[in-house]
Amino acid sequence: MKSKSLKKVRVKFNLNCRQVEIETKPNKRLIDLLREDFGLTGTKEGCSIGECGACTVLVNGNAVNSCLVLAGEVDGARVITIEGIAKNGTLHPLQENFLKHGAVQCGFCTPGMILSAYALLLKKQSADEEEIKEAIAGNLCRCTGYKQIIEAIKYTIKEMSEKQA
Amino acid sequence: MKEKFNVVGKPVVRPDGKEKVTGEAKFADDYKFPNMLFGVMVRTKATHALIKKIDYSEIENHPSLITIVDANDIKGLKKTGLIRKDQPVFAFEKIVTPGDAVAMLVGDDEDELRLLAKKVKVELEELPVLTDPRKALDENAPLIHPEFGSNLIVHHPLRKGDIEKGFAESEFILEQTYTTPHIEHAYIEPECVTAIPLEGDKGIHIIGSIQNPFSARRIVAEVLGFPLNRVKIEQAELGGSFGGKDDIMCILSARAAIAALKTRRPVKIKYTREESILESYKRHPYIMHYKVGYNRDGKIKAMKIDIIADGGAYCSMTPFVTWRSVVQATGPYEIENVWTDVRGVYTNNPYTGAMRGFGSPQIIFAQESMMDDIAVSLGMTPDEIRKINGYKQGSVTASGQRLENHEVNLRKVLETACEATNFREKWLENEKHHNRRIPTIEFKERIQKRNLILEKDEFVHPDDVWKKGIGLAVSFRGSSLGAEGVDAAASYLSIQNDGSAYLLCGLAENGQGMKTTYAIIVSEVLGIPVENIYYLELTTAHIPDSGPTVASRSTLMGGGAVKNAAEVLRKRFEDFLRDYWQLSNEDIIVFENNRVYVKGKENLIISFPEFASIAYKNSICLASIGWYPGPKIHWNEENGHGSAYFTYVYGCQVAEVRVNIVTGEVYVDRVVAVHDPGKVINLLGALGQVYGGVTQGTGYALFEELDKHNGYPRELNFDQYIIPTSKDIGEIVPIFIEGKDEFGPWGAKSLGEPTLELTSAAINNAIRNAVGERYFNLPVNLEEVILKRKLRPEDLKRGSL
Amino acid sequence: MIQKFNYVAPKSLNSALKILSENKNAKVLAGGTDIIPGFHIESRRFIDTELLVDIKKIQNLHAIKERKDFVEIGACVTFAELAENELIRKYFPLLAKAAETVGSVQIRNRATIVGNFVNNAPCADSVPPLLVYDAKIQIQSLKKTREISLQKFLIKPYATALKKGEVVTKIILPKPDENFVGDFYKLGRRRAVAISRISLAVLMRKKDGLIDEIRIASGAVTPIGTRLYELEKFAKNQIANSDTFKELAIMLGEKVLEITGLRWSSEYKLPVLQQVFYQLLEKVNRNEK
Repeated sequence: MKSKSLKKVRVKFNLNCRQVEIETKPNKRLIDLLREDFGLTGTKEGCSIGECGACTVLVNGNAVNSCLVLAGEVDGARVITIEGIAKNGTLHPLQENFLKHGAVQCGFCTPGMILSAYALLLKKQSADEEEIKEAIAGNLCRCTGYKQIIEAIKYTIKEMSEKQA
Repeated sequence: MKEKFNVVGKPVVRPDGKEKVTGEAKFADDYKFPNMLFGVMVRTKATHALIKKIDYSEIENHPSLITIVDANDIKGLKKTGLIRKDQPVFAFEKIVTPGDAVAMLVGDDEDELRLLAKKVKVELEELPVLTDPRKALDENAPLIHPEFGSNLIVHHPLRKGDIEKGFAESEFILEQTYTTPHIEHAYIEPECVTAIPLEGDKGIHIIGSIQNPFSARRIVAEVLGFPLNRVKIEQAELGGSFGGKDDIMCILSARAAIAALKTRRPVKIKYTREESILESYKRHPYIMHYKVGYNRDGKIKAMKIDIIADGGAYCSMTPFVTWRSVVQATGPYEIENVWTDVRGVYTNNPYTGAMRGFGSPQIIFAQESMMDDIAVSLGMTPDEIRKINGYKQGSVTASGQRLENHEVNLRKVLETACEATNFREKWLENEKHHNRRIPTIEFKERIQKRNLILEKDEFVHPDDVWKKGIGLAVSFRGSSLGAEGVDAAASYLSIQNDGSAYLLCGLAENGQGMKTTYAIIVSEVLGIPVENIYYLELTTAHIPDSGPTVASRSTLMGGGAVKNAAEVLRKRFEDFLRDYWQLSNEDIIVFENNRVYVKGKENLIISFPEFASIAYKNSICLASIGWYPGPKIHWNEENGHGSAYFTYVYGCQVAEVRVNIVTGEVYVDRVVAVHDPGKVINLLGALGQVYGGVTQGTGYALFEELDKHNGYPRELNFDQYIIPTSKDIGEIVPIFIEGKDEFGPWGAKSLGEPTLELTSAAINNAIRNAVGERYFNLPVNLEEVILKRKLRPEDLKRGSL
Repeated sequence: MIQKFNYVAPKSLNSALKILSENKNAKVLAGGTDIIPGFHIESRRFIDTELLVDIKKIQNLHAIKERKDFVEIGACVTFAELAENELIRKYFPLLAKAAETVGSVQIRNRATIVGNFVNNAPCADSVPPLLVYDAKIQIQSLKKTREISLQKFLIKPYATALKKGEVVTKIILPKPDENFVGDFYKLGRRRAVAISRISLAVLMRKKDGLIDEIRIASGAVTPIGTRLYELEKFAKNQIANSDTFKELAIMLGEKVLEITGLRWSSEYKLPVLQQVFYQLLEKVNRNEK
């Protein structure tokens, strides 16, 4: 492969509700595209093999590990990162409740954790504790023991369904 | 002693939380600098070898390579270390463990450098490998660091009473050996650091995932040959540490600094998870032999403890970790005759150092398991045996210290936990149902003969598979550093002219919520709302050396310093107001809810912002430096006598588990964790410490071990090194008992480590209650439950077979 | 680190097949959950890969289609889609269950079932259910289209009968007789995101208290997922009771031991395998229609 040249890929996609277009190396991972090319450093790298979930972003409404996605693969897709969760400076209820319930300690797993919870809320209006645990099972946290995170998500679901009623 | 609090003990949203939930918080790898280069390590495949020659010729002229740094570029100390100077920044004489790096390649394409690193040829002369700590002190054991003449890093003895007489007077004797493995801290953020050369002679600025900025500064300064004030270490937002980002970050900071000064450009080192696990230090594996003599009435008469700690390739914190063990190895029990030896030894295994607990989780696992076996042998319940032997007010520890300057709440935490779980009733009920034990243990002789096909009568019906058990463990823990070193902390509080404030403490936030705790303390003393307090970035330039963020000392010592700073200002402000408002000495001035007023005089009230403005205009200095030194302690190294720590905390955890007797799965249904941490200042943070500590303790008990093949770690990423996910633990119930203490801010002491150290013993005892089997080797994983030992592949290949 | 390769995303199957036949170091990219970590750990399997051919833009590879007697699963169907799909849950509940236990939500949203068995790791969770459902797969190349049973397709760990220039385009699953009941079992070291140490799939149909037909497949205990035809033959017309189940479990232990010989993990895995298989049979027997 030393002799062969790399052919750049052109990627057009929707990033946090903005249409963007960029040309980049074919072997660039989505996590690097976000962190380096777009300066969105909220998405974190913890393991590089899709085990820890710190790099979780949403692609077309689904939570995925951005360390396992290539830049070219999001052509035509909708990508949401942690930077796209708050709207115009107003925190999303998930973010508010993470703060209120002590669900944030070192904060490194937090962006990925919030996105997994956000993805759950996109799919379901209500979820019990088991479903919440399943939704975040791919997000490792070494600090919090998960309890306050689960509480924050539970509370958000309750709050949001009461608001709807 | 203040009884009613406005902010302390209430749920307070962490002031540094918003940036974490929006992704704006900057961790070490989120920093980019113009002209920045990357540093990538060059390692060998050896475990123990002499370095004969390093040959860079194949890569020297590669366009991606800006420079190479190795030991030859070091102007100061080539070998460094927090206690003993045995750790080379770059290995140059020999390789003593697989994680060793001999050089660092510097360039602007990280991927390219990684390819180049493989082309460096290192000529080695292999040496015999030592991986069994029990053989480290044999006459013919290979010497890891020949300059010290021995593989013994440290020996801590403790002698109390007359051990032989104690055993002679004991009706029963119980001897057991327990082992624990290498444990990885597994912080989700891997190590990362950037060094930026400063202009002129200002030296170097280093920003990274650094747990102890002052330790890193000391090491970097001595490696560079710089005075301390030319090394500015700044802590980025830290993605977890648990004791693990100390030595390794000192070394990485030094490496980055050397390269940055050589190239006059910023140099970033960013580790992959594999590199992190390969090179960073681990928790000490312990081999613990306990011999206990006791009587029919449950009183323990004598305890002889022999511990070998695998210190691995470098000394690191081994002398202090093992010191805590020698102080606490007997457990919180009054024993007349004690003979303890704790030895730390060198091996070629990954080096071991500080990790949350620091020498306590291992010994608690052993000694709390034994206590249950002692109880069972006497027909007593586990809580009974603890009540008979446990510390009370005025009890004397193994090192001869009388426990008297604080509330000794061992009994209280034990009773609270037992009541909350209906412990005794459940435990006795479970003890009756041992008729169905682990089948494979029953026919273990056949298994040893490799006859692995079952007989028909050995099958277990699906309804009989899960057995429930309940178990407890208690502990006492000395707060802060004890005899380890200088124990003092500093803080800086600067009120602005409009009443807002800057705050900084020399003890670093690791994510556990220290910034919140410190803000709460200031808020309680001066009435400034937490949201008006801006916590400054921690750099070594802006605050005096406060020692490391370890030993669960941040609230006690750092909090003490913050309270001191706030109280200094409070007194200054009160003195000013007495004059300004013409008050008498009896008038009480209150600082509360962002206002200042005089009790009983309704017209004398202003907002705090107004007050700050007035004070400033009257040339009152609105800033202070707080300082909190720990009281002097005494320790005799020869016989282990002295007041090891100036105060203590107590804890009791009860675990309820279910065990699958055919697969060996253990699920923790519930842990009730009762802790006396002194005064709880940051409630949400304290709860988080319990949930997090118990979860880590569960991982320690059931899943985690770093296995090695010839010293080379086998589990290099999270697919193999198993830590708990959200689905792996049931309910955790924290209960706080706030014992009174004269030290710390309003008696606040320690919580971070007590929450982790107890869980594995409680779980091990619960398993024993469930299936009638005593386990001696952590982790009590699938194989351990079924076979009472671990199984290992013969090589490093992956795969599930 | 990630090695250097080129990336293309053809819009038609024909283009993809052409590219694959012209580039000997090209590899199909579907979910990426095996390949990308594989690059990171410098796996020998991917070290020569120079071109990734992303097949996700090819339209008809994403569908789960019902035919009269079959259900077809396209090559790009993810585990998440499989687990939620009504057809799969109705006709192939073991497959839906296995799909739910793979990795995490994030992995399931990307990993494809076809990619799972084309990779053919010993612990591939999709294999035992597919085997008991008698899965066939369709393979296309520029020159021809062929069908082959999954059983024959899987050769040894990380090796299949896939030739250069070929792409697996779909799985064809015959709808099983509605009188079958069954279950899927997986044992890992923890409760989520766990590599399988033992996995088992069982389908059973009874008639008058006798086992009329039983299908058994194991994963992670043998080098590749395996149907256990000898056990199935033995079980036919035996009484569906504990005694028979225990005999079958013993036979499973013997068969696995025969295939693998004594391995470092055998002292744990063999006794456990027999126990959990026996228990699985008891459970399946209780679920009878």
